[in-house]
Amino acid sequence: MYGASPTPTPDPADGDVRAEGGLRGRVILLGNPNVGKSVLFNALTGLRATVSNYPGTTVEVARGRLAGTDTEVIDSPGLNSILPLSEDERVTWDLVRATRGDPGAVVVQVADAKNLRRALLLTLQLGQLEVPSVLVLNMSDEAEARGIRIDQEGLEEALGIPVCTTVATKGLGVAEVQAALAAARLPRNHLPLSEDIAGPALELLTDGESAGSAEPGFQARYHEALLAHAETLARRFATEAEPATKAMSRRLGRLAVHPIWGWPILAAVLIGLYEFVGVFGAGTLVDLFETKVFGGYLSPWATALFGLVPWAPVRDLFVGEYGLITMGLSYGLAIVLPIVATFFTVFAILEDSGYLPRLAVMSDRVFRVMGLNGKAVLPMVLGLGCDTMATLTTRILPTPKERLLATLLLALGIPCSAQLGVILAMLAVVPIQAAAIWFAAVAGVMVTVGWLAARVLPGERGDFVVELPPMRLPELGNVLSKTVARVEWYLKEALPLFLLGTFVLFALDRLRLLDTVVRAGKPLVTGILGLPAEASSAFLIGFLRRDFAATRLFDMSRAGALDVVQLVVAMVTITLFIPCIANVFIIAKERGWRTAAAMAAFIFPIAFAVGGLVRVVMLGLGFGGAS
Amino acid sequence: MTGPTGPLVNCPLCGLDYAPGGDTCKEHGCPLSFGTCATRHCPRCGYTIPDEERSVAVRLARKLLGRREPLIAESLAQLPAGARAVVSRLQGDPELLSRLTAQGIAPGVTVHLVQRSPTYVIEIGETTIAVERRVAEAIRLRPDGPR
Repeated sequence: MYGASPTPTPDPADGDVRAEGGLRGRVILLGNPNVGKSVLFNALTGLRATVSNYPGTTVEVARGRLAGTDTEVIDSPGLNSILPLSEDERVTWDLVRATRGDPGAVVVQVADAKNLRRALLLTLQLGQLEVPSVLVLNMSDEAEARGIRIDQEGLEEALGIPVCTTVATKGLGVAEVQAALAAARLPRNHLPLSEDIAGPALELLTDGESAGSAEPGFQARYHEALLAHAETLARRFATEAEPATKAMSRRLGRLAVHPIWGWPILAAVLIGLYEFVGVFGAGTLVDLFETKVFGGYLSPWATALFGLVPWAPVRDLFVGEYGLITMGLSYGLAIVLPIVATFFTVFAILEDSGYLPRLAVMSDRVFRVMGLNGKAVLPMVLGLGCDTMATLTTRILPTPKERLLATLLLALGIPCSAQLGVILAMLAVVPIQAAAIWFAAVAGVMVTVGWLAARVLPGERGDFVVELPPMRLPELGNVLSKTVARVEWYLKEALPLFLLGTFVLFALDRLRLLDTVVRAGKPLVTGILGLPAEASSAFLIGFLRRDFAATRLFDMSRAGALDVVQLVVAMVTITLFIPCIANVFIIAKERGWRTAAAMAAFIFPIAFAVGGLVRVVMLGLGFGGAS
Repeated sequence: MTGPTGPLVNCPLCGLDYAPGGDTCKEHGCPLSFGTCATRHCPRCGYTIPDEERSVAVRLARKLLGRREPLIAESLAQLPAGARAVVSRLQGDPELLSRLTAQGIAPGVTVHLVQRSPTYVIEIGETTIAVERRVAEAIRLRPDGPR
């Protein structure tokens, strides 16, 4: 049976019952990480928030409307205590505090039915805050399978709020949650807390300014007191779980972080990523779109169409050497689109399977060298999709120092999937040793810069504490819709800049300024890097987007304009080049303009210096003679 | 270190019980000896057996396999992988403690240490959490183990 048990008879003294007049205003979903808030949000609104199986996905809150009503539904980042410990948890705290005194607002706490004790810690805090709420015990099928029985009515009675059970992924019990919204009431606040805890705790819960003034260790003592009461309630109203001994997911979850078996699994994941994105996406699909679709149909059609235009500048604007269609759209749609689409598919699968936090466990040691901890792997991997998205995700890191370090490393050396795909395609034609040099140079710079920056920058590294959600089989629909949403986001960001970049090149070319630029860049591009002078145009558009520049170099190399050394040097330089303009804006927004400018000023010379160094090393190793 | 202070050794060949001495191979005129070979020699028959206690490789292997003196784990960082224990208190940075308690780790709670490497992985009921060593050190344990 899924659904609300009969709501206890409304007792006016018990709190305000909002049955009459229906519900307007807002519904705020909150709960521990990985309890299915986003799934319930989608079920309630018919919308799709980014649903995923790792803590920290919902960095921005998702908003929607309750199906068929004016009520606003807000999804919030997962949290373990209403008292915020990091930037992303603060968002939820602010939302909850705003509901106090808002007669139209209801808090819906989503809980993992298997983990009542932890959920009740939040419920009790909501009770202290006296906000009208509903408790939803989600994943009740999993709880049932584990032999957990919850006395729903008893719990309702004890807490004084409606309690529903759902299986949100299957849509079970969602209608009952909607019905229960109208019956939401102030929870019974009869916590057996001693006066020296209850008073200061309420002050902390309601007033953001006093957060720092409490004596150190108070929050922990407060949590302990709450947990003790939660334990009592959980014992009274829920039977204990039978240990899940042979569950596949549990075994796989353990193997994925195993000191020995974790590594082959990691290798398999990386190989799978490479095969799907590097070989299938950047190879097969790009070839299909570029040569067949664009080269075979779209570009010739467009050329024929614009051939009717008598005025040459207009013709060239669209289909010339730097044409908006032949270069801008063709780069953006034929080369970049297949690569980001395949990458985001894999990323969504990893996200939903619960592997990403396990990747954090496996990579903790490496990141520790760079003054970070394993948690930083989440923005880094997302950065392989899009550095701009990833820069926003650095909010999940606990200290300002870590956020700054991660932002710097993302901007410096993490190529986004489009760039990476193009680079992999280019490196496929050079000897494996040359490809290894590219990797060693980029990884070496990242580790060195990270190591140095970690020592130079003031501040502390946060403690590594990451919750490992159970491994789950990703749902196809969820994976697809997330991929589509991310690709859309990406194209919205990338395509205009691709067109702008193409237009800049076109305009410079028309105004005969391109030669000037090429000549101006010659000392750098030819002098230091030993590249053909025309490569200047690639670096020029690299100021807009690194992947665009890489695509331009890719084009040059396919035309046979680059030898092995030049190719690797060009790839190293463009990988380390300053991040795309949107990323610079996001860095400025998140960390201030001074930081953004300092990073750009730091990264630009490093890119060229390392590129020049790689050239010297490769010539010294005798790669020059090979071509 | 070289005095005959250890327990007696039984020679597997002739059956003599003898106290393992110092650089006996040197005394026997072994040309390969630099005084470091980890062997014992029976003073009667001259039969040679390996001295595990002096072998660097054996000590290293024991360390890697985690075979050490049983000790009472004071913190989670000292608990062997696979063991269970009850938290006695949390000790450390207030912010960390607030985080741990919010995740359900508190005095009186039974924790199960799944593994120690690459990071510590602990299970508390239905919750699995990965932490680094310095966090594991903050979780102090009851000496009497789980009850």
